[in-house]
Amino acid sequence: MRQRSDAELVAQARCGDREAFGELVRRYQRAAYSVALSVTGQHQDAEDAAQESFMVALQRLDDCRNADRFAGWLLAIVRNRSRNLIRRENLRSGDEIPASASSSGPGPDRMADISALRGRLKEALSTLTEVQREIVLLHDLEGWKHDEISERIGIPSGTVRSHLHFARKALRARLAGWKDHT
Amino acid sequence: MKDNDRVSVLEVLDPARGNPGYWSRFRSTILEHAAFELARRREAARASVAAVLSGWSRSLIPVAAAAALIASIMIANETQQQPEPAPRLVLEDMLGGALGASSVQVSLGAGERSNTAAFIAFVEEDTR
Repeated sequence: MRQRSDAELVAQARCGDREAFGELVRRYQRAAYSVALSVTGQHQDAEDAAQESFMVALQRLDDCRNADRFAGWLLAIVRNRSRNLIRRENLRSGDEIPASASSSGPGPDRMADISALRGRLKEALSTLTEVQREIVLLHDLEGWKHDEISERIGIPSGTVRSHLHFARKALRARLAGWKDHT
Repeated sequence: MKDNDRVSVLEVLDPARGNPGYWSRFRSTILEHAAFELARRREAARASVAAVLSGWSRSLIPVAAAAALIASIMIANETQQQPEPAPRLVLEDMLGGALGASSVQVSLGAGERSNTAAFIAFVEEDTR
C-alpha cells in the first residue's frame, strides 16, 4: 500500500480522521521527543512537552498552511512548548532517566553504568547550544539525514553538517572516558 | 559524513531502550487526549458538508423555479403562434387543379361537358 504523504494525512486529520492523526504521531513522535529533550534536558519534561505539542498541533492544524512541511511546523511547536515548560516550571528536579527504562533489561551493575553514562551525557549535552543538541539528537538518535533536518528545522544543509560536526566533537571530548561506547 | 561517525552512546537517551512498548503507549496517550478534538473536527466537517449542500440548494431552487417559469411561458407562446395545419389535399383535387377546368372541357367537347362516363371512356381510349 502506498504511503500517504504528510499533506494527505494532515488533510484527513483536519476532518477528524483518528487513523491519519495517529499516523502523523507515529511518524514524528521520536523526533518530537528528541527536540523536546534537546531543550528541556529532562526525560519527563521532554515527554510532556512532546505529547502536549501534538495536542496543540491538532488544535491548530488549520494554521498549518503548507501541509507538506508539517514536520517542521510541528517541531517549531515542540520547541516553543518545551521552552515554555522550562520557563513555567524552571525545570523540575526529577530524575531525567526514564523510569520504565530502568525497570527492565540489564542487571544492577550495568544499570549503574547506564545511569552514570546518562549523567555524563546530560552534562555533555548541556555544553552544546540548543540547535546543536537538536541536530545531534535528530541525526544520531533518530537517524534523520542532513537534508531532512535541514528541511524540517529550516536551516541550510551545510549549517546542519557544521553543527553536527562540532556537537559530536564536543560530546566525544566530554565523554572521553566512555570512548568504547562512543 | 560517514555513519560510523555517529555518537552511538546517545542511544541510552532513547526512552524505548529496555522498554519496547514505550512509543506505542506514547502514541496511545496522545490519541486518548485527542479524542475530543478529533470528534469535534468530524462533527464540524459533517456540518460543513451539510451547510454546503443546503447553501447550494438555497441558490439552486430559485434558479430552477425561474427556469421552469421561463420554459412554460416559452411553450405557451409557441403554441399560440403555431399556424393552422395545412388542409390535406385529395388526389382528385390535385389532378383537377393541375389540369384546370378548361382542359377537361376541351377534352370532352362543348356538348359533353357534364358527362362523366364519356370523360372516363375518353381517357381510357386515350391510354390504350
